[in-house]
Amino acid sequence: MELLSNTRKALLHPLDFFYDIQFGGRAKWSHAGILLALMVIVHMLRISWTGYSFEGRESYQVSFLFESFWILVPWVTWCISNWAVSAILDGEGKFKDIVVSSAYALLPYIVLSLPLALVSQILTQGEYTTYYGIYTFIQCWVIFLFLAKVKILHDFELGKMIWIILLSLIGMLVIWFVGFLIFGLVNQAVEFVIGIVKEVQFRL
Amino acid sequence: MQAGLSKAVVVWLVCAALLLGIPAAASANSPYDGYIWNSRSDSPSINGYLYKDSIDGYDLPSGPFKAPEDIFINDNNSIYVVDSGNNRIVLLDSRHQLIRVYGDEEGPGKLNGPKGIFVKNDGTLYVADTQNRRIAIFNHDGVFQKEIKAPDSPLLGANFLFSPAKLVVDKRDYMIVANDGTSSGLLQIDPNGSFKGYFGSNMVEFTWQRFFVRLFATDEQKAQLAAVRPQEFSNLYQDQEGFIWTTTLGTEYNQVKRLSAVGVDTFNPDWTQVQNRKKYGDIFSYGSFDIASFVDLTVDDKGIVTALDLSTGKAFQYDKVRSLLFVFGGLGTQNGLFQTPVAIDQTTDGSIYVVDKTRNRIDRFGTTPFGDLVHEASALFVDGRYQEAKEPWRKVLEMNSNYDLAYSGIGKALEKEERWGEAMAYHKMARDQYNYSQSLKEYRKEWLRENFHIVFISIIVLFLVLRFGVPLLRKQWGRWMPPKESAQGNVTERSGS
Repeated sequence: MELLSNTRKALLHPLDFFYDIQFGGRAKWSHAGILLALMVIVHMLRISWTGYSFEGRESYQVSFLFESFWILVPWVTWCISNWAVSAILDGEGKFKDIVVSSAYALLPYIVLSLPLALVSQILTQGEYTTYYGIYTFIQCWVIFLFLAKVKILHDFELGKMIWIILLSLIGMLVIWFVGFLIFGLVNQAVEFVIGIVKEVQFRL
Repeated sequence: MQAGLSKAVVVWLVCAALLLGIPAAASANSPYDGYIWNSRSDSPSINGYLYKDSIDGYDLPSGPFKAPEDIFINDNNSIYVVDSGNNRIVLLDSRHQLIRVYGDEEGPGKLNGPKGIFVKNDGTLYVADTQNRRIAIFNHDGVFQKEIKAPDSPLLGANFLFSPAKLVVDKRDYMIVANDGTSSGLLQIDPNGSFKGYFGSNMVEFTWQRFFVRLFATDEQKAQLAAVRPQEFSNLYQDQEGFIWTTTLGTEYNQVKRLSAVGVDTFNPDWTQVQNRKKYGDIFSYGSFDIASFVDLTVDDKGIVTALDLSTGKAFQYDKVRSLLFVFGGLGTQNGLFQTPVAIDQTTDGSIYVVDKTRNRIDRFGTTPFGDLVHEASALFVDGRYQEAKEPWRKVLEMNSNYDLAYSGIGKALEKEERWGEAMAYHKMARDQYNYSQSLKEYRKEWLRENFHIVFISIIVLFLVLRFGVPLLRKQWGRWMPPKESAQGNVTERSGS
């Protein structure tokens, strides 16, 4: 219930909402979890409900893992990187606030993309400006919420907000790079251990 | 006893018939599997062409072929083989019996490494006598008529070397020549042997990389850069309407072109638009990491194009609107596969002849019943006679339900019958988003017209609900839950800041 009233407020009065969320324990981990799960579910449903004029993939061609990976991983790295960068550069936001409000920033997509998918069933490619116009509008709204969130949570000036966002994006790339590196090294290490075990087994 | 004996005889006869019959069926096995490219990937299909037999010349009085380079089949199905290694042209009749040999006698007509041939309807032979750097002309009886030497024109440039590889002769008796090493286009040579300009040059694509390099390079650096040349034509073919078709090497798309009288490609739509570019041949490496290199093509009277790809050794057949119909052949040593396929042509009955230069022979392929069926349906389909094509397409689907083109064809027929809903279903099965969308448009229009009263009434109801119902509900809501409302109402005091 609280999630619902929060939703209404985040969509209608986002600036007030992001301000209020910092106080009185209103940021809840459970909300972030539910919203993220909804995001993934809605994304999968959107792909399967969109009319064939706009979405050529059949459901067997869509990978749940792949799609959810490309939602969750950028989102999680964004939270970490934004928190880290803003903590160094005088941001006021707490990690919990950042995570929860980042989840709320996904709301326009969660709320609007399914109705759009249903409408696209009766749209033809001749009306692609309508379809992509609405889709772009949703994306812009999500981006706007992310920007507003950064500005209000950390209480930044506009110029500093843009600077922080740029740094956060670079931070995301760094995290991915390090992630790949660690993945590669761990892979090598595991292979090395397996190799030694096999060798020992062979000698014995 | 008598009856038992006759029964035994019958049983033995049946067994014998079965034994004889089974190898006949097994011989339909082919060393290559049929497949076609759908909109997304390759999918198995039934072979449209199967290997029949070969001509290698051993049983001909003229002896075996040696490194044959080209083949030309005229309207009477007589076969002219450019027997390059033996420096001669061999003419066979439609039953593969020798009629005549051209250009093997000492004298002015002696050929040297010929690579291409064209025969006019009156039987005059034009031979691209490559090593002699000339075009040699013979009459039908094998008498050398004259030669066309290297044309002289400032347009050809100082380094021009006349080395004609393939040619056709158009209705004006102009020779259109693909010259080895010339990338500016096909040479047009008039009957007197003078150069009349290039024809149908390939274009150089704009790339940002080249643009920036050119922008920042000094003059000395520019001089060091390799000159960007358009791709060279590898072969050409003149169809029955007089259009010249070409194959191009070294490019990934639009390798097959039909040139109009002014040399503009009319087979592929505007190539500068990326979505119009068609990748002929295998779309990504299918057993080979090369891009397709088409070396020859042939076009039948219905506009079906069969192009031969040297790098995969396969022949790809397309209909008039560039849809892939069949793929056959491949690299290998079994019958039906090739080692170096260099030329292709077909007879009027639809048999396709492929010249294998390394194996010194010519392989003949014939259509299968499935192939005939697809050809029948496709011929009606590309002429826009969708409803007549519907029945053959249905039969195609009975044999091969993966054949996307058939779904498209039936979808088009259903559109003509204004059965939009079914047409949408078929276009979806053909994975054709554009035509699905077109059918949806008509379906929507029809649905709205039929159900206009429902739509109209529901709009009115919706309006009433929004205008009166929702405010009423809100009022009720406020009456039921006043405390919650006030508790949630105003936490937005910015008292802190």
